[in-house]
Amino acid sequence: MTRTASFAALIAASMIATPIALASDLTVNVESIARTQGTIVLGLFDEATYNGDGAVDGANLKVEGNDVTVTFEGLEPGEYAVKLYHDVNDDGEMNTNPFGMPTEPFAFSNDAKGRFGPAKWKAAKFTVDADGTVHTIKLN
Amino acid sequence: MNLSRRHFMEAGLGAGFAGAVGASFGLNASAETNKMPAWHLGYQNAPVNGYEPSQMKLVFGKAPSDLKGSLYRNGPAQLSYGDQHASHWFDGDGLIHRIAIEDGQAVHQARFVETRKRQEEQAAQAFLAPGFGTIGDESYSVQSADDTNAANTSVLVVNGELLALWEAGSAFSMDAETLETKGLKTWRDDLKGMPFLAHPKVEPDGRVWNLAVGGSRVGIYRIGANGALEDFGMVDIGRAAYIHDWTMSERHLIILVQPWINETFIPPVVAGFEWQPQHGLQMLIVDKDDFSNQRWVQAPPRMFYHTGSAWEESDGTIKFDAAFYKEPVLGVDGGTAEIRGEWIGEYASEEGILTLVEIPPQGDAKLIETGVIGEFPQVDPRFRGKHRNLVALASGASANRPGSTALAVHNWTSGESQSFMFGDNRMVEEFLFVPKAGGQSDLDSWLVGPVLNIKSGVREICVFDAANVSDGPVCIWQADYAWPLGFHGTWA
Repeated sequence: MTRTASFAALIAASMIATPIALASDLTVNVESIARTQGTIVLGLFDEATYNGDGAVDGANLKVEGNDVTVTFEGLEPGEYAVKLYHDVNDDGEMNTNPFGMPTEPFAFSNDAKGRFGPAKWKAAKFTVDADGTVHTIKLN
Repeated sequence: MNLSRRHFMEAGLGAGFAGAVGASFGLNASAETNKMPAWHLGYQNAPVNGYEPSQMKLVFGKAPSDLKGSLYRNGPAQLSYGDQHASHWFDGDGLIHRIAIEDGQAVHQARFVETRKRQEEQAAQAFLAPGFGTIGDESYSVQSADDTNAANTSVLVVNGELLALWEAGSAFSMDAETLETKGLKTWRDDLKGMPFLAHPKVEPDGRVWNLAVGGSRVGIYRIGANGALEDFGMVDIGRAAYIHDWTMSERHLIILVQPWINETFIPPVVAGFEWQPQHGLQMLIVDKDDFSNQRWVQAPPRMFYHTGSAWEESDGTIKFDAAFYKEPVLGVDGGTAEIRGEWIGEYASEEGILTLVEIPPQGDAKLIETGVIGEFPQVDPRFRGKHRNLVALASGASANRPGSTALAVHNWTSGESQSFMFGDNRMVEEFLFVPKAGGQSDLDSWLVGPVLNIKSGVREICVFDAANVSDGPVCIWQADYAWPLGFHGTWA
C-alpha cells in the first residue's frame, strides 16, 4: 500500500512534528474490512496530539481486499495510538447521519471502543519498541 | 349462561381455570418461592431461549372462523440477573411474541431480540448497558445508540418484514416465522444508526410514516408499502421534548411537543427530565406533501405516552384522541419498584384520561376529556388517519397492583363507552382491532389482546366483538404458562 499526502483533514498541522531521534518502524495491519472499496483513512497519534486536530503521521490506504497494511518508518520509540475510518464512498469525509453519528466504519488501536465518545488515549495507546512493532486493528 | 357482565370473568371463569389448570406452571412457581405478589408474574424473566411454538387451548367460546393472522408483540422480559434487578422496566431486553391464529387454533412462540446489549449481558449474567433508567457499567462501550438498544417496545410488519422497535435506536429485522434476529435495519446508507420511533403510523394502503427523534431535531421517514424508503426529511420542534408517540391524519403529521423536556438524554435518561408546564402542550402540524409547510398549535399542558389516531373534518379541523395526564407519570419514579415486587400505589390517582383534541383551522387547540380512563389506545387499521367511530383502551387501574383490569371502547360518533371488567385477577394489555371479513365499518371488528391471569399463573388471548365489548369475550385461548407483561403489538 502506498501512503499519500491527502490526509490533510486530520493531520496536516502535525507534519511539522517530525521525530528527531529516528529509530523504529511501526507496521499497522487493518483487518476485517467488510466492503472492498474506498479508502482506509488512518492517523497515527502520540499523547500530545491524540485529542487535538493534528497527528504524528497518517496514511490513505486504498481498499482492494479485506485488509490493508502501512508501515511508518523512523518513529521515535514510545507510546502511540491509531484512529481510522473507512471512507467507503471515497468522498474524503467521515460521513455521518443527520444526528451526527458516523455511518462509515471506524476503529481505534487496541480495538478500543469509546463510551459516548471516541476511545480514550489510555485505552488506545500502545508501545512502539526500538526494534519495531506490528499492530493489528480489526475494523468491525 | 346468564352472567353479570361485570363479574363474568371472576364468576364464570376464574374459579374453573384455577381448578383445572392449577398454579404449578411457568413462572408462577418462582414467584411463590420468592414470596412475590401474584402480579409480579408480569415482571419476571422469560426463559433465556424464549418459548418454542406451543398450542394454546380454547377454554371459552367459539373462535371466529374469519380470524386468521398473527398477533406480534414486544416487551421487556429480562428484568433480573440473580439478585440484580433492572433499574427500570423500560430497560429489559425485548422479547418478541407471535400468537398465530388460524382455523380456531392459537399457537404462541417467542424469542428475544439478539441485541449487542443482550448478548454481552447474557455472557456476563449482569446488566451492563446504560439505558432509560440505568447508568450502566463503565466497562460497557457505547459508540452508537444501538449499543444500548433494548429493542423492547413494539413491532412493525412492513411488506412481510418483521421489525422489532425501540425508540432511541434502529429497528431490528426479525424472521417473521421463526422470530430469529437478522440484524439492525438501515433504511438508507446515510441514515445508518438513525433512531426509528416505536410508534410508526401505517396508512390504510400500507405506507408507513415514522419519526427519528434527537432532541429538538426530528427526522421524518416515509416508507412505501413495498418497504422501500421513499423520503426522509428533518424538522425542528424547538425544544427537546420527550416523544414516545405522535399522530397522523390523511394529510398531516402531528408532532406533540409536550412540556416534559430532556436536554441531555444521557443515561440514565430518566434523570434528565424536567416538567415545564409553562410551555403548555404544543403541536407541530406538518404537511405530508411538503415538510416545510408547518403550523404550530397551542394547548394546555399535558403529558402523554400514546395517541389513538387523527382525522380531518371537511372544514379543516383536525381531531385526534390520546391518553393524557395532567403531569408526568411512570417515567419519573415508576417502572422500578414493580420489578422488585413492590407496589406503592402512587399511580392510582394518575390515570390516563381519554381526551379528544380539536385543532381548528386557526387558533388554539381544545381538549375534550371523556370519562374514560386507560392507556394503549388503539384504532381500526382501516381507518388510520380517517374518520372513525371507535377507540379501544386497556382500562381500569387497580388500587392493589400495577396494570389494567378492563377493556374499554369509546365511540366518538355516539359518545357512548363500553367496558368489560376482567377483575383484579387479570392484568389487561393492549388490544388490537382486527377487521372482520367483509365488514365496512370499524364496528365490524374483532379486538384481540392478551391478559395475564395472575390467579392461575397463565396467559390468555381474548377476542371481543368491538361493537359489543361489554358482552364479554367471544373466545379465550389459554397457555399453560405465563409470560411477562409487554408493551405494544401489531396484527399481520
